[in-house]
Amino acid sequence: MKTAVYTMLALAIASLGSGCVNLERSRDIGNPNVSGRTLALQVCSSCHGVDGNSTSPAFPKLAGQQEAYLIAQLKFFRGHNRIDPAGSEYMWGITRKLTDEQIEGLARYFSQQKDAPNVAGDPATVAAGKAIFENGIPDKGVAACAGCHGAMGMGKDTFPRLAGQHANYMMKQLHILSETNQRPAGAMMKPLVHGLTSADLVAVTTYLQGVSPN
Amino acid sequence: MITKSVWRHVLKIQDVLPTLLALVLLGMWSFPSYALPAFARQTGQNCLACHAGGQFPELTPYGRLFKLTGYTMGARSMPLSVMAVLDYTRVRNPKDSTGVKDTVDFHKQGTAIFDVGSVFLAGKITDNLGLFAQATYANYDHQQDNGDWVGHLSPDNTEFRYADRFISPGSDLIVGAFANNNPSMQDVWNSAPAWSYPYVGPTFALGAPASPLLDGGLGQDSVGAGVYAYWNRSLYGELALYKTANGPFGFLHPGDNSGIARIKDGAPYWRLAYTKAFGPHDLMIGTSGLVAEIHENNDVNQPTDRYRDYGLDAQYQYILDPHTVTAHISYIHENVKWGDPLALGYDNASDTLKELKIKGAYVYNATYGASLAYQQTTGSTDAGFFGGPADITGNLSGSPDTTAWIPEVFWTPVQYLRIGAQYWHYTKFSGNSSNYDGFGRSASDNDTLFVYVWGAY
Ligand code: HEC
Ligand code: HEC
Repeated sequence: MKTAVYTMLALAIASLGSGCVNLERSRDIGNPNVSGRTLALQVCSSCHGVDGNSTSPAFPKLAGQQEAYLIAQLKFFRGHNRIDPAGSEYMWGITRKLTDEQIEGLARYFSQQKDAPNVAGDPATVAAGKAIFENGIPDKGVAACAGCHGAMGMGKDTFPRLAGQHANYMMKQLHILSETNQRPAGAMMKPLVHGLTSADLVAVTTYLQGVSPN
Repeated sequence: MITKSVWRHVLKIQDVLPTLLALVLLGMWSFPSYALPAFARQTGQNCLACHAGGQFPELTPYGRLFKLTGYTMGARSMPLSVMAVLDYTRVRNPKDSTGVKDTVDFHKQGTAIFDVGSVFLAGKITDNLGLFAQATYANYDHQQDNGDWVGHLSPDNTEFRYADRFISPGSDLIVGAFANNNPSMQDVWNSAPAWSYPYVGPTFALGAPASPLLDGGLGQDSVGAGVYAYWNRSLYGELALYKTANGPFGFLHPGDNSGIARIKDGAPYWRLAYTKAFGPHDLMIGTSGLVAEIHENNDVNQPTDRYRDYGLDAQYQYILDPHTVTAHISYIHENVKWGDPLALGYDNASDTLKELKIKGAYVYNATYGASLAYQQTTGSTDAGFFGGPADITGNLSGSPDTTAWIPEVFWTPVQYLRIGAQYWHYTKFSGNSSNYDGFGRSASDNDTLFVYVWGAY
């Protein structure tokens, strides 16, 4: 027992003495020398999953997401430009001290992870969602989502990948994008969502969640 | 174990109050609003990230990882926080059998009081080492000889953690060590005694006549160290050893050592848990145990009583905006073999005590919440142990059987402030629903309304 306490104290002193850092396995989001990859594993994994495949839909999946999109969003969070409530509550603080280099490392890491298939919805809803995604709703001026987000919803550059993303997260973002200006690069999404009924939104997000192009 | 301890004062209230006030003021000016604010500043996140629906101290899956990785996630920042509770307690019947108000057990009946305040020193020390140290000022700590209540600042839950995480896609191993002064303080689930419901409760009201040693009986009386491992966010195991918090560890114990539980050798404590997350659901099923030999009358020259406490517990959480649903259940079985029951005046050579606690809560938008708890204590009858009839606090049957239902509603207008009301309804108290004390008092006479304002900076 005493030995255990002394061992702890010794470990404490040793780690203080060694300059307090352990670059390979650090969870210090304020140290510019910790690599993006290390932060991804040690910190971001706790919510987004170690390979970017978050279990809870409260946290967006990052696996296989477009690198340029990830970089853009992380900079929006860091600069307090993406101001939706969850963004500020969860992501502002985590990114506040990240360097551009760390952001690039984080984006590279998550973009290279393999997306794991998500829950598939019921076939009728999926078919309706697929139609909207691929063709839009011309009568209502809704352009095809695929035009920007890619044929299978894989995204391109700063157009985010949607394939396999949690439906709950996408639904939340679609409301934010249509009803607010809280996402700085979201202006082109606004008119599109306005033409969609809530049933359409459920259909398209249900379809996208189940897409697994891998 | 009868847990109502009386702490001796070493620090005078006058010495402490200015410091506390200064800290509160400092807190209000310089801190953003977060719930263990020092930790929130470190990660820069809202308290919601770590506390389920903002219900301090219930942890989210992320909050658990934050603790298991030794409070080291984030960037080092101002490690101080303060917390205060103002409350109001009203017991249904504060009068004894002759109609005279009992102003000792039900002191401050129907009056709003400043009850407790805490100061925390908490946060990341190095990449592997973190600290959570709490000192609590109880405004009604104990009574002086003339009957006046005095306040006192005492060491509260205090913990050092050392942790490392070996993680890559496909495997995740967190290993760590801790030293603290309250068995189960290290736990990350809120079905474990140190962090279980009620999160705030009345100071001047009656509660179950006995609770197991594992449920707080050694809190601040002991100091222990342990090691743990959490593998692939599914299997958790922990082993620790607790000793009396005296000698060089006396600073972890309030006041002098005259009332401290004298543990013979070391008391082993263990914990095993299995966890599983699926979508927004998170489940834990676990077990824990404490075996201790404690000298009678806190005197090392007297025989020891052997406590064997085994617990089973489970937790369920659903967290997805705007809903938070949490449920906890804990069952502790205690067997105590008395060293010298004759000298102690007990009827049995050994006694058992069983404690069941169930609680479910719902919070909408991290703002409006309601919960319902059920607590049941049962055990062997031992008139010698429970002392026999006495007005209000007596026990006619010699049985510990007590059952309470506790509905609560709360409101969190801003994340550093919570306002709530609890009602403790007893259907059984000390073995009976009526005349439990031998002086005609009913269990429901102890029903208690408790209203609180909790704040932290
Ligand atoms: C405490 C949990 C938590 C941690 C830790 C966390 N995030 Fe997040 N993250 C969230 C939440 C919640 C959102 C959704 C925000 C929103 O709705 O605006 C999010 C959103 C994001 C997004 C935007 C995704 C999209 O599709 O637009 C990126 C990128 C991101 N996080 C990267 C990271 C990185 C990199 C780290 C580690 C440095 C990290 N996160 C750590 C909770 C977390
Ligand atoms: C004109 C191009 C364009 C079209 C067409 C388009 N989007 Fe988008 N969408 C974007 C851009 C750009 C963003 C990223 C905004 C940002 O960076 O904040 C985005 C973001 C999103 C997001 C949030 C993703 C995340 O990870 O946070 C969702 C969900 C989404 N779009 C769904 C749709 C759906 C469904 C449709 C079809 C109805 C659609 N989009 C059509 C350009 C488009």
